Amino acid sequence: MSEKGQDLFEKVKEKVDRLKEDTLEKQFVDFWRMACNAKQRSCDITLQYGDSTYEFIDKYKEQLTHMREDFAQNIDAYVETCIKRLEQKKFKVYYAKTNEEAHEIFMKELGDNKTIYKSKSNEAKDLGLIELMKENNIEIKETDLGDVLIQLFDYKLPSYQVGPGIHFKVEDIVAKIKEKHGVELEPNAAAIVQYFRNTYRKELLNDVKVSLTSANAIAAEDGCIALLENEGNISIITRATEKHIVAVGITKLVPTVFDALLVTKMVERTNNADLAYISLIYGPSGTSDVQGLAVKGMYGAKEVVVILVDDWRTKAIKDNLFYKAIVNCISCKTCNFVCTASRAFGNVYASKYGLGALAIIKDYIHNGIEAAVEDGLFLCTGCENCSNWCPAGVNLAEIMKQLKKEATEKALCPPSLKEYKDKIFRDKNPFK
Amino acid sequence: MTKLIYLGCLSSSKYKETCENAIKIINFLDDEFKTLENPPCCGALSYHLASDEELKNHVTSVNNWFKEQEVTELVTICAGCYNYLSHYYKEFIPDFNIKVQHLLQLMAQPENLQKLSLKHEGKKIIVNYHDACHLKNADIPIFEEPRKILSSIEGVELKEMENRRELSICCGAGGGVYSIFKENSDYNALAIFKQGKGKALITACPFCYTALRRIQENKDNKVRKPVIKFEDFIVKLMEGVDPIN
Repeated sequence: MSEKGQDLFEKVKEKVDRLKEDTLEKQFVDFWRMACNAKQRSCDITLQYGDSTYEFIDKYKEQLTHMREDFAQNIDAYVETCIKRLEQKKFKVYYAKTNEEAHEIFMKELGDNKTIYKSKSNEAKDLGLIELMKENNIEIKETDLGDVLIQLFDYKLPSYQVGPGIHFKVEDIVAKIKEKHGVELEPNAAAIVQYFRNTYRKELLNDVKVSLTSANAIAAEDGCIALLENEGNISIITRATEKHIVAVGITKLVPTVFDALLVTKMVERTNNADLAYISLIYGPSGTSDVQGLAVKGMYGAKEVVVILVDDWRTKAIKDNLFYKAIVNCISCKTCNFVCTASRAFGNVYASKYGLGALAIIKDYIHNGIEAAVEDGLFLCTGCENCSNWCPAGVNLAEIMKQLKKEATEKALCPPSLKEYKDKIFRDKNPFK
Repeated sequence: MTKLIYLGCLSSSKYKETCENAIKIINFLDDEFKTLENPPCCGALSYHLASDEELKNHVTSVNNWFKEQEVTELVTICAGCYNYLSHYYKEFIPDFNIKVQHLLQLMAQPENLQKLSLKHEGKKIIVNYHDACHLKNADIPIFEEPRKILSSIEGVELKEMENRRELSICCGAGGGVYSIFKENSDYNALAIFKQGKGKALITACPFCYTALRRIQENKDNKVRKPVIKFEDFIVKLMEGVDPIN
């Protein structure tokens, strides 16, 4: 056990202890536990569909897994086809080898604009765009209500990627709105929603110059961006804008628009959500109504810029790195709410990329093993629920196991675990 | 040729009575099975910490011990041993050919169920069964066996919990987390108790048993339902004793 290991262990212990007091972490975990139970429970009922979520996963898991594996094996061809097709469709396409390259492209595309309207986009975190914009004093205007609330509360801790801000209590939200905007609202969800509809919607319809989204999937052969949402914020900011920037890791590429729909449908079903919109964007808006002359930028976006980022992805596959399976992930976040550690530890078992194992692995990829240990790597019990549930066949538990091995090799494993290991090998009995 | 009763290091260190009960059942079904002095730990607790080389060395040394003792077949009462022996040993030792069984598999064989013909006199007992991760995630998962056994018992009814079979939740004792942070178990083990309306919660894993018992024994948790290790439950029935009191 190194000094560093001890230090990291103390840090995690401190975070875990915060769950015993009335802290932000405690408030989060209380809500999160309830939400996880409700999510998993509703997987069992058929909702308005004729089958349960497990049955749906069972039905399409093989197809989806096969599709993702085909992508991993032919990643270069996918990227090439995708760029070609998107360009034919009049998207402006960039391919960035690294996050740094993507940052340069992004800032160039942003130009003189100092404000950007953003959908939830977890990809933006992975690509480091949030930090980049903060460093460059770009005002980020979140549009997903969950993220709007996160901004309203200036909440700095990790939150659930699919429903950020969902843990804030109605009365706290109302109080915060009064404090920040001087408006008194009835303490109920409908009044809060109506308030943002009345005020923010106008701004979204009229003032957006540049918007940023990721994509649930990009159909390479069709040249099409698929985006799933419920609030209409994505529909608005991808249309009522001058420039729509789509920044994604190349892992979002799928063969056709049908595959893209399967991905979005799977994300919807695994989250037991019944979402209102799927946008399929085939390029900037345009018209040929004047003398048959094609002009871009009718009522929708004038320009759609796609930044495809590789960074760690091709390397993970080509170098056969132990976390290469992450490339197959469709970001449905099912692994979060079935995770035993996540239920117990909420946003203590998390990284700046979000909750749970996946976010911890992302932190490892970008910031190394010490970051993963500090995020609570050793809080994982190895129950393998994440792997058992994953609709894309990603063995997340195996990746977590490899991370623990690496941490132990680098003397970063908690002291008592190291002791067990030594006793097994030395005394052939850990309980002696 | 040795047919080994491999109790596992957690049970043999902490649960002597359970071990004796397991031996009673196993020998009642097949008296050729026997225990041996100082069996080495299978290594399950180190599988997520040690390097492949360390694991291979350990697994090989345990296998050598099996060879010295001429073990051809073993039955274990530990879910961890079952998972590890039936998965990782083959991975590290391609010619590993010891037949590995969990006690549940041995008991669930039709002829053995018949031989046991378990019954409970008196008022019917409703029990819940917790599926341990190690049994769920093993190469050959064990879901049906405990259900077959429990539903074969006259006077005992198995009531399924919400999180069962593939969807069961971890008690928080996996991966050695229990030794560093019991907070996982504080929440998850308690959640397991809250799920079924049985009079007792039965588990076939000594790690789950340890975690669940700690929750049950803490009076603040107000859990009245006892957690019972599978073999303890069975032996009481064999001896005609009330299995939950």
